[in-house]
Amino acid sequence: MKILVCIKQVPDMESKFKVAADSRWYDTADLAWRMNEYDEFAVEQAVLVKEQVGDADITVLSIGPDKVKETIKKALAMGCDRGVHIADDEVSSREPFQIAGMIAEYARDKNFDLILTGMQSQDRGSGQVGILVAELLDLPGVSTVVAFSLADGRLELRRELEGGVKARVATGLPAVVTCQLGLNNPRYPTLPNIMKAKKKELITVGVADVLKVEARQQTAKLYFPEKKGGGLILEGEPAEVADRLITILKEKTAVLA
Amino acid sequence: MEFTREIYWNVGHGALTLVPMYLLALAAVAIMVRAFLQRRVVYRQGRSLDRLDRIGERVGEMLGAVLSQKKVLRVAWPGLFHALFFWGFLLLVIGTTLVFIQADFTDPLFGLVFLKGSFYAWFSLVLDLAGLVAIIMLGGLFVRRYVMRPEGLTTGPDDALMHGLLFIILVTGFVIEGARMAVTELGTPLAAWSPVGLLFAKSLAGIGEEDLRSLHKLLWWLHLLLAVGFIVSIPYTKFRHIFTTSANYLFADRGPKGKLVTLDLEDEESEKFGATVVADLSWKDIFDADACTLCKRCQDRCPAWSTAKPLSPMKLVNQIGEVAFGKPDSDLIDTIGRDVLWACTTCRACQEICPAAIEHVPKIIEMRRSLVLMEGEFPGDEVMTAMEQTEVNGNPLGSGYAARGDWAEGLDVEIIGSGGEVDILYFVGCYASFDKRNIAVARSFVKLCRAAGIRVGILGKEEKCCGEPMRKMGNEYLYQTLAVENIEKIDASGAAKVVTSCPHCYNTLTKDYRDLGLAIEVESYTVFLERLISSGRLKINGADFSCTYHDSCYLGRHNDIYEAPRALIRAAGGRIVEMEKNRSEAFCCSAGGGRILAEENIGERISVKRVRMAVATGAPQLLSNCPFCLTMFEDGVKGADADGSLKPKDIAEVLADCLPEGRS
Repeated sequence: MKILVCIKQVPDMESKFKVAADSRWYDTADLAWRMNEYDEFAVEQAVLVKEQVGDADITVLSIGPDKVKETIKKALAMGCDRGVHIADDEVSSREPFQIAGMIAEYARDKNFDLILTGMQSQDRGSGQVGILVAELLDLPGVSTVVAFSLADGRLELRRELEGGVKARVATGLPAVVTCQLGLNNPRYPTLPNIMKAKKKELITVGVADVLKVEARQQTAKLYFPEKKGGGLILEGEPAEVADRLITILKEKTAVLA
Repeated sequence: MEFTREIYWNVGHGALTLVPMYLLALAAVAIMVRAFLQRRVVYRQGRSLDRLDRIGERVGEMLGAVLSQKKVLRVAWPGLFHALFFWGFLLLVIGTTLVFIQADFTDPLFGLVFLKGSFYAWFSLVLDLAGLVAIIMLGGLFVRRYVMRPEGLTTGPDDALMHGLLFIILVTGFVIEGARMAVTELGTPLAAWSPVGLLFAKSLAGIGEEDLRSLHKLLWWLHLLLAVGFIVSIPYTKFRHIFTTSANYLFADRGPKGKLVTLDLEDEESEKFGATVVADLSWKDIFDADACTLCKRCQDRCPAWSTAKPLSPMKLVNQIGEVAFGKPDSDLIDTIGRDVLWACTTCRACQEICPAAIEHVPKIIEMRRSLVLMEGEFPGDEVMTAMEQTEVNGNPLGSGYAARGDWAEGLDVEIIGSGGEVDILYFVGCYASFDKRNIAVARSFVKLCRAAGIRVGILGKEEKCCGEPMRKMGNEYLYQTLAVENIEKIDASGAAKVVTSCPHCYNTLTKDYRDLGLAIEVESYTVFLERLISSGRLKINGADFSCTYHDSCYLGRHNDIYEAPRALIRAAGGRIVEMEKNRSEAFCCSAGGGRILAEENIGERISVKRVRMAVATGAPQLLSNCPFCLTMFEDGVKGADADGSLKPKDIAEVLADCLPEGRS
């Protein structure tokens, strides 16, 4: 079984963000980088599938400058078998269709049985890449998956919908699945696996070899949200405060509906 | 007439006595040696470890510790009883040996008799009293064990046998002496030199000589057989501690205290890290179990045990022994249990008090290393998250690394690399860098330094967690990654000295980092500030106040820094009302051993228990010297409903308040 996991390197969300000089993206100075959280679920799911079926080969792919290799190595330490680095220093200016185009171009002739990725990235958050990859490869695509089981070559999946509703979806392979929080608990790499990861194959592919599609959209401007009013502090007797809180919850939220 | 007595009186000095006696003695020693050699095979299942380096010093330390009983005496009453019993019994052994030397060596070979005259009189008196003291002490220990039954003291068949055998040996000794004296010494001036023997002699005086002689002979052989039985039983009972505990002083870890073995992670051959079976531990870790006397002093002081967590250091050490002797291939971690291993705060109270020089903490860390490095297991998801945060941002709090130096805004602090000269490099640590409560401590320390004209440099965003909590949790890989990066930055800083305000950073930089190449002098802020004040460089306007003081485990037990912090408090005008558990007996705050990263889900909260001890002093302030302690106490005062009456503070804050400009 051949599995492709697509991961993105994103800044740690606790970082101090500044808007870049061109106002199109954030300034990358003083940022700490890590694997996109949703992609960690994808890596973990790939490794779980490999543990289940035994005979599987996991390729982990990431697009970006040289430093994304660090994130690829983390995925290799978690249990992926080989890494593919699409070297692209301009990655932050690519829109989702271009990213999906590159992945699809790379994957087209490789006969992957399963393609896993996060349901969105923590920085851009378009949520489009996985679905576009499925579309470009003409494969079934299932997004925001929170439960995954593989049996007899078929996937039984559970998708998270709005308002706490879930949907059960079944599909054959090959397929593309995007992973949501709750799917699994990504493992902490063991030291022997970290050591082995250092020796695993890590192929670099030039961006020109895989970028065959044109951008369809552009980021016009990046800016911080306007500061809105702060929180509301209720003061007074506990019973009275509780009543007012219940009124507010009823009027302004759906938690008591 | 010169004082002396006939050796082998009544039993005879011929072959009929000597041959069986010496054969029995030789057989006993042979059995004992063989049994210890068999045990040595079990010890040798462990990895090799050199504990005979600087052998001269080691032998000296062993003899000193054994003869003085100083480690045993650290717990007053049972310690005193054991020590007096030991000294009494030792004198009896020496006395018996002198008798043997004279009777079967110097007298027959050279005609030399030294047990005579006034030496013999004193010899008689000393041995007589030694026997009495030994019996009384044995009685005291018997009452403690079987009548008072202190909580946690485990009593088994070994203890009954040991008490019984020793008691009968001592008493038969006096009866034999009494019978001999009743026949030969009663009414002579020599009798007064054996006051206890004389009591026995007088009580036996009504019996006829013939019967006395029969009784004497019978008891003499019984006494001999019991002594032989004693020798044979040594390796098979807790009597073995006579040799194994003494030997453990010889094999003791000679420090630096609390420094862990640095794993070679570059070793391509290694495929296993940490310990899951006894063969992964060192031979000393197995030997420790044999040296343990089950005195439970470690357990009494263990903060985990005393808050209803499953860890007993004593039990853990003995479980390793049981596995080593019983089923050496079985999994240690499953036997001991994960909750036990994760409960340790590495506070070192167990090791500090252990009268047998047992090393509890490194065993726990070795097993944690296996869990983390081989299985990716942690005590909880929050710990794994903290590890990942540290990998990304260099701190377990999850704060962005670039803001690490922001706490110093507005203070006269040099960020290393911006060109200025500094007197000290302040290694700030994660909590003083990011945690609001502890930032106040860092700022206070800098104010104190500036008031003394000290130019302070920091690494700012280049500093990373020292790695101590990760290392104690078992994550040697992350620790070494952090350490190597920090060492590179510290070395490049050009500073002459590093000062830390976190005892965990201090212990790590000053001991553990040495293995990875850090050579620079490292000092605790308490010692550094104390010198500034005592040299007159830092002026403090102290004002009288009352407080109690908590010795952090890593400044106290790990580094024996007890007085400098107290001198600082006094300089600020503080009157310290000591908690009952202070200095080397101080009770942990709960946050050591990486537990700062973990939820405390089992049993009572350690921090609350410590806060209650502080509340009991009646003092309104709880001063400490460690960011972890301060964090725990801020929590603990709430848990103990003492947040109105007890204010936790760091020493640096109190001192900074006494600066002339700080009073504004």
